[in-house]
Amino acid sequence: MSEPSPGRLLGIAASPGVAVGTAFVVDRRKVAIPRRHIEAREVDAEVARLRGAMSAARAQLSAVRDKLAPDAGEHSLILEAHLLMLDDTLLTEQTERAIRVEKMNAEWALRQTVENIKEVFDRADQDYFRERRSDVDFVGERVLRQLLGASSEIVKPLDLSGPVVLIAHELSPADTAALARADVSAFVTDVGTSTSHTAIMARALSLPAVVGAPDATRRIATGDRLIVDGLRGVVMLQPDDDAVYQAQLRGERYIAFVRALQCNRARPAETLCGHPIRLRANIELPAEAAVAIDHGADGIGLYRTEFLYVDRSEPPSEDEQFETFRRIVETMAPRTVTLRTFDLGGDKFSTAFRFPREMNPALGLRAVRLALREREVFRAQLRAMLRAAAYGPVRVMVPMISAVDELRAVKAELDLARSELEASGKVYADVPLGIMVETPSAVMMADLLAREAAFFSIGTNDLIQYSLAIDRGNEHVAHLARSLDPAILRSIARVVDAARSAGIPCALCGAMAGQLMCLPALVGLGVDELSVEPAAVPEVKAALGRLSRAACQALAAEVLAMPGADEVECHVASLFGPVLRDLLAGGEAGQFSETGSFVLPEYG
Amino acid sequence: MSDVVSEIFEVLNERGLHARPMTRLVQTASRFQSEMSVERDGQVANAKSVMGLLMLCCHKGARVTVRAEGPDAGAAVTAIGELFKSRFGESA
Repeated sequence: MSEPSPGRLLGIAASPGVAVGTAFVVDRRKVAIPRRHIEAREVDAEVARLRGAMSAARAQLSAVRDKLAPDAGEHSLILEAHLLMLDDTLLTEQTERAIRVEKMNAEWALRQTVENIKEVFDRADQDYFRERRSDVDFVGERVLRQLLGASSEIVKPLDLSGPVVLIAHELSPADTAALARADVSAFVTDVGTSTSHTAIMARALSLPAVVGAPDATRRIATGDRLIVDGLRGVVMLQPDDDAVYQAQLRGERYIAFVRALQCNRARPAETLCGHPIRLRANIELPAEAAVAIDHGADGIGLYRTEFLYVDRSEPPSEDEQFETFRRIVETMAPRTVTLRTFDLGGDKFSTAFRFPREMNPALGLRAVRLALREREVFRAQLRAMLRAAAYGPVRVMVPMISAVDELRAVKAELDLARSELEASGKVYADVPLGIMVETPSAVMMADLLAREAAFFSIGTNDLIQYSLAIDRGNEHVAHLARSLDPAILRSIARVVDAARSAGIPCALCGAMAGQLMCLPALVGLGVDELSVEPAAVPEVKAALGRLSRAACQALAAEVLAMPGADEVECHVASLFGPVLRDLLAGGEAGQFSETGSFVLPEYG
Repeated sequence: MSDVVSEIFEVLNERGLHARPMTRLVQTASRFQSEMSVERDGQVANAKSVMGLLMLCCHKGARVTVRAEGPDAGAAVTAIGELFKSRFGESA
């Protein structure tokens, strides 16, 4: 890969499309602070503003200290420490330097200095640094508040003209959803992968996104004009008019391409030779159900119910959940809705539960393990699901099953939920209970699990993480997590075979289902059902329609014997690249390189 | 006339040298005319900068070198040494 030029940032193409807009940098880690480059003539005024804010903060702290009783001892010493920090040359000189040399506004310069100091504490091996970090933070925030008090109105998205490109370190699902209401045209984040929630939400909202663009929040300032190319994973900084014009053309071509694909939405999903593959949608907001139908999905293959639990102090009630589920079921009927019980813990936390501090949350108290610890909460959700099933076809799916006993424990809770509803006289209908297969142990036990589960759904995101021992959120190793790793393909083959022997359907609902170059192998391995984000349904349907099942089966036999992902990717590209090329490129003329990776044309 | 005095001290405080002990150190160092520095594992900080001292991350058991240069260097290092030995006035 070539070195990134100063005018562009390279990240991960997380949501397709091309947008041109004005940057708004949000620092979600603390209060939102404005970041802009100042003119040389503003420097002295900005330094004066910083000094003014520092002496105001100092006066405030001194006043507090003077009010303290003389015997306050420790407390007054902490204030003493903070006062010394405000005078500290490390803080003042570095911040002034950032204003004078790097031409940062005072807030930005101060935040950067504070972050630099904190970085040293981050590297310390003991947890003493926590207290130090918060001391430094405290002092920094105090000065920031003084600075913002005079100028907090300077930069808000509303003051920016035209569509806004949101730049953030990372965005929570709630942030992304709330911000979508504003005039946001694209997202760019410092961290994240194509399966992180910013990416999933951006695709649901049909907004281009580039994630994992290191230093985006540092290199981009509010007010900068940008091009966000969510097809290539490129952000262009301060483009000239010609580049903007070219980008707009590409954006329009992409929209035309998407519209053309939409034409097949009424057709069932099937291979070239007429073999049916159920194509369903993964959703996390109830409103997405309508989007799923719109894009031609044959039901919901995964509804992530955990989003009912985030950003609140109490778990949602049975009735509240029932109402939400019923709306989705009624919208989708007669199509099937697969409700997944809450998958919290790991990287998804809810303030509704008390989570222990864990060294290794991905291997900790999450998903079904949490459900079986919080049985009352779990049963309230199961009751809501059973009641919703009275309004249309519903399947219930349990995440992270890693042993047969766990499935049996869930069944017992479901039975209990049923008898509770029976006793209270509420209307409900029975539901098939299936499992997510996403741990290596579930893969190994698939034959026995298949006897007790009504269906399987392979969750490839976690299966890849656990099977290959790769933390997908870790930027240093994330590139090693490849869907077409033969270890993953062999796991899928094993699970599909177990399902087939037991006569139950086997779905696949991870990101892999939406990766077009994985489809030939999945069809060949015999997966019955795919579930992808609503926006990806049209292109997956188009891709399936170009594949012959016999060719896919031949491919599957070959790739299962291959030693590594490189070989598999190359082989798939050589066999299926030509028929899928235009779909991969979002309507553009992409090419496969000799190594099997897909490349879009460069542009200036 | 200018002396250079330096001495090595061990951190006895259970929670290392966090903001409060370091504040005492800065306050004490500021009473002397000498230029003073504190060094740990090759990292040097001005003894009159709280942030700089904190960034040394002196945990319990760390061995730090206190160095003073100036007319009252000896007294300065002795005074700082008293702080280390008395755990900066903390109970543990």
